[in-house]
Amino acid sequence: MSERIGFYICHCGINIAYRVRVAEVAAYASTFPGVVVARDYLFMCSDPGQELIEKDIRNLDLTRVVVASCSPRMHEKTFRAACQRAGLNPYHAFHMVCVREHGSWVTENEDEATEKARVIVRAGLKRVSFQNALIPSQFSVNSNSLIVGGGIAGMQAAIDIASAGFKAYLVEKAPTVGGHMLQYDKAFPTLDCTACIGTPKMVAVGQDKNVELRSYAEVEHVSGFVGNFKVTINNKARYIKSNCTGCGDCAKVCPVDFPNEWDVNTKMRKAIYLSFPQAVPVRYVIDKRTTAPCRTACPAGTNVQGYVQMVKTGNYQQALNIIMERLPLPGVLGRVCPHPCEIDCRRAEVDSAVSIRDLKRFAADHARLEDVPMPMVEEIDKKIAVIGSGPVGLTVAYYLRRKGFKISMFESMEKPGGMLRTGIPDYRLPPSILDQEINHILSKGVELKTGMALGRDFTLASLKDQGFDAIFLGIGAHVPVKMNIENEDAEGVVDAVWFLRKENLERARSAKKRVVIIGGGNAAMDTARVAVRSGAESVSVVYRRTEKEMPADHEEIEGAKEEGIEFITLTGPKKVVTENGRVIGIECIKNELGPADAGGRRRPVPIAGSEYVIACDMIIPAIGQSVETAPVIKDTPFELTAWGTFKVDPDTMQTSVPGVFAAGDAVTGPATVVEAIAGGHKVVTAIERYLNQEMDLFDAERKQKEENSVPEEKNYVPIPEKAAIVARAKATFVEPLSRKSTFEEVDLGLSEAAAQSDAAKCLNCGGCCECKLCVDTCKAKAIDHDIKDQREIVDVGSIIIATGFDPLDPTPMTQYGYGRYANVFTNLEFERLSNATGPTLGKLLKRDLNDRMKFTEPPKSVAILHCIGSRDINYHEYCSRTCCMYALKYAHLLKDKCGHNTQVYNFYIDMRCFGKGYEEFYKKVQSEGVRMIRGKVGSIKEAKNGMLTVLAEDTLSGRMVEIEVDMAILCTAMEPRTNAQDVMRKFGIGIGADGFFQEEHPKLAPVSTPSSGVFLAGACQGPKDIPDTVAQAKGAAAECLALSAKGIVEVPPMISWIDPDVCVGCQVCIGLCPYSAIEFDDFNSISIVNSAVCKGCGSCAGHCPSGAAKVRHFTDQQVFAEIDGLLLN
Amino acid sequence: MSEFEPKIVGFFCNWCTFTAADLAGTSRLSYPHNIKIIRMMCSGMVDPKYVIKAFLNGADGVLIGGCWPGDCHYINGNLKARRRVAMLTEILKEYGIDEKRFWLRWIAASEGTMLREVVNEMTAKLKELGPSPLNRETPGKKTPGNETPEKVNPEKVKMIG
Repeated sequence: MSERIGFYICHCGINIAYRVRVAEVAAYASTFPGVVVARDYLFMCSDPGQELIEKDIRNLDLTRVVVASCSPRMHEKTFRAACQRAGLNPYHAFHMVCVREHGSWVTENEDEATEKARVIVRAGLKRVSFQNALIPSQFSVNSNSLIVGGGIAGMQAAIDIASAGFKAYLVEKAPTVGGHMLQYDKAFPTLDCTACIGTPKMVAVGQDKNVELRSYAEVEHVSGFVGNFKVTINNKARYIKSNCTGCGDCAKVCPVDFPNEWDVNTKMRKAIYLSFPQAVPVRYVIDKRTTAPCRTACPAGTNVQGYVQMVKTGNYQQALNIIMERLPLPGVLGRVCPHPCEIDCRRAEVDSAVSIRDLKRFAADHARLEDVPMPMVEEIDKKIAVIGSGPVGLTVAYYLRRKGFKISMFESMEKPGGMLRTGIPDYRLPPSILDQEINHILSKGVELKTGMALGRDFTLASLKDQGFDAIFLGIGAHVPVKMNIENEDAEGVVDAVWFLRKENLERARSAKKRVVIIGGGNAAMDTARVAVRSGAESVSVVYRRTEKEMPADHEEIEGAKEEGIEFITLTGPKKVVTENGRVIGIECIKNELGPADAGGRRRPVPIAGSEYVIACDMIIPAIGQSVETAPVIKDTPFELTAWGTFKVDPDTMQTSVPGVFAAGDAVTGPATVVEAIAGGHKVVTAIERYLNQEMDLFDAERKQKEENSVPEEKNYVPIPEKAAIVARAKATFVEPLSRKSTFEEVDLGLSEAAAQSDAAKCLNCGGCCECKLCVDTCKAKAIDHDIKDQREIVDVGSIIIATGFDPLDPTPMTQYGYGRYANVFTNLEFERLSNATGPTLGKLLKRDLNDRMKFTEPPKSVAILHCIGSRDINYHEYCSRTCCMYALKYAHLLKDKCGHNTQVYNFYIDMRCFGKGYEEFYKKVQSEGVRMIRGKVGSIKEAKNGMLTVLAEDTLSGRMVEIEVDMAILCTAMEPRTNAQDVMRKFGIGIGADGFFQEEHPKLAPVSTPSSGVFLAGACQGPKDIPDTVAQAKGAAAECLALSAKGIVEVPPMISWIDPDVCVGCQVCIGLCPYSAIEFDDFNSISIVNSAVCKGCGSCAGHCPSGAAKVRHFTDQQVFAEIDGLLLN
Repeated sequence: MSEFEPKIVGFFCNWCTFTAADLAGTSRLSYPHNIKIIRMMCSGMVDPKYVIKAFLNGADGVLIGGCWPGDCHYINGNLKARRRVAMLTEILKEYGIDEKRFWLRWIAASEGTMLREVVNEMTAKLKELGPSPLNRETPGKKTPGNETPEKVNPEKVKMIG
């Protein structure tokens, strides 16, 4: 059958006809093959226009229709419907050509416009004959709606949808609904209290059974299409269960303070908080961030932030309780820990790191070990043997005991403590402290057997015979490493391990007159300082690199120097010089630094011929220790490492012998106390799992670790810009002269005032410090610090975006001094001042010049600056629409609350009082005596007394004005949300030139978006006041309800299709499809499009090498015909 | 004799550049009539053969308009378009089609002004370049303009034709 085409060109009043000679185009079309009728008409989209087409279809048996008029995005649907009414399949029959937006409106010359219209009409006429009949698919509509944003727009939409009997999911990212409206005080022009009109809405969304409120939640992902969306919501962990009563007891004990976002930082809140008293839901939330760096830096994972906060608030017992969660020897660590935590402390970016170790010692010195609570657990009938009573043995014993296991600890020496007792000198770690802490551990029911050496007095086999279920080896590294030089065994050469042990245990005072110590580690420093105390007249430390490379702690090196110890660096020992078998000196050789070794330290290189002798009576090598494994492996064949330490699994710490675990120096070689304790904690977990037969948990954890190998983004609390510089607290030290002859403790610790002020420096990087005082105080038992984020997937049919706006930050406009001048406020800050739940409980007060969180007296004069960032080509060209009106409201409130003699100046560009009752309000405020000055303020200057001088031009009188005021308020612009781009992508909507979300049509589709089923409400679409926002929200709700009520939606049929006769099964399209809509049919070896999932983007069709994949309505034939029409006569 | 008027075919994504063209119209931003627009649902739908077809039929320039990277209505169709254009540009060069004749531009729905600028710029550029070599080869279709002939390999032209 030959085609019978009807052509219609629209005048669009004169919109098209004033440039395009429409009759000429129609005449041209009539000559085109197949065209049986060509008409022009004034308004094709009107009823008579459509009827014209329908009549022609019926009377002239038209098979195809081409309309040349406006953009198809405007009226394609209209004419398709007309064709359908007249009995034609609209996809088969109809094509639309745009001669208005792409023709008459953009072409200045009439001839050119007419010619362009002719060409594109020709293309349309060519194309239409190749079109095929298509039938849109119908899908059912899920009657639930999703509303993103819980401000007044979102709440209103949710209430409307719920009251129609449908379910609404209301997702709000803040802990409470309410949005900006509830932060305000009064609403213009009626001055009704926003809380009075807003809180009922909040309560309604909180209580309505049809509203599923998801506060403190965010939409993560959206898939599907109109009527059938799948939305992933991430419910962020609040750490508070739903049985929270909102009593606020928790906030009273919380030690951590942060500025409250709800009050735009004019007031403090706790880490556990409610945004404001009327918040919905009335459920507290804990502000937790990335775990603080100090805590992650601690090998033992001590909650450093927690106990620092407890010291700050003077709760030393809780500080000690927190320390004891991970460190069984708080007083010891408070003295000897090399504090890796302080290296990572972010306070150092402001001034200096918090003195964390000293604070730990302070807590240990000022609280009672006996009062540290033990968990209430049942005794477990399993026996564990702990061999060695050094720090790692004590850790394993104490924490396994806390779990209820029976512990026997074996120690080869007379007293427990291992290296803590034999290796660390008393002036650093008084034995009384060590005894006290070990006794505390023993008092919890740990059995100690001293004088029992493994391999001498018992064996692993004998322990098994005694019924021990697990064995822990913590035998340390007590064997000195040799120097391997000549005459090393001469009399007068004593290793540091033996020397220190003798001095510590027996007070032997065995040092000779002139002592040389070899080495640069902490052991060398300890030895040197002990030698001084034990009677040596001169002590020298010989080290092969420079002082910079010394592994010893800086404070130990300094302490040694103060005590008169000589440092001979870049020098290595070569030979012990003897006389009659006794030491008389040591021959040394000078070194220089060569290239760096694998560890990054520069290697010492001896300088040939530089040998010389240092005369001395005693040489003490302190160059390292190794593990004494011989007596152990005699009976049991343990696997050892190349270093002679026990080989263990790095996660389970289990040795090659099942049921025997090891940690501490025996595994790592000589290391720090805190590293030993860290290993001990691993053992505690492992032994518990071993005894419960849960060792497979380690495998699961390893697997999880591999899967989550991407490091999480650090979300620390930001460093405050205005943090005061505070000097680091310094402990008191005994004077060098008086301390040199005694073993009494040198470091006397911090004073209480110094400790508290240093603790107050802590920035609380991790948010909540996890002191858990709130857990103890909560009567409802609603707090659980282990809650995790929860993701849920909900099905909805329609979506409303109501994400609101951000207020502009005026800090970059330095001419107004915001942030520098105390009494320059933003509008939102002023709203919080005026609000009864704000920092001043509703009083309008000036800010203290020295403290931004303190407010003093009412202002006597105030300048209100309009258009800050709005109508300004440097910021936003648009008008923010609300500022004129709220500025008038502020003027009224100032007169009302601060007295009628308060001078109020409004600096405006134009007054825009366009709404109902707005102009009347303007008149009323003017009559109250408010000065209106037409002109934009150029600058604000602050005098020493805090008075502000406002400089502006009065454009009505043409004069410059300079006015002194107490306070200035900046009426800042409404800006698109900073995450508008993310939201746009998530929901497939568009953003306009101003950055706000773009509605589908500025007049006729103000709440729709290009994504069918996704609607807009409120200020996310453009600056809006409350009445407009509510009206738009109701409009968006109506759109959702229309979908839900109809229950069926038609989806355009322009989707892909793969011709099974042509497809070669290469499967390239499968990888290209962004919706995974293409599947492979193995049997037929071809790809198949799943039409329910395909959206018709044409990624497959654009690529398909065989031309099998096509998008319906955009086939090669159709597009080729259109190209032909454009280019060939 | 009248000035050479290049023929430009625009393949515009329905969600961005086509809408930008509508916006340019609504805002009455006039631009040269030389461009004629074909509506596509996505720039990623533009099959290389459409571009080749346009040049073979005598287009002096082809403009593909897509959404900014990350803003594609279909997730990433524009990125696929970008890859195809990169490859097609190289192929077209082999046939004597200068890359200055084949443009891919990201023009968002709100960027009506940008659309006008791009069309202005492209039209001016093509006027400088003169008619497409394929266009000039067609007998009886000689258009005056740039007299320096661009390099053409007639064998290859025949191969596609």
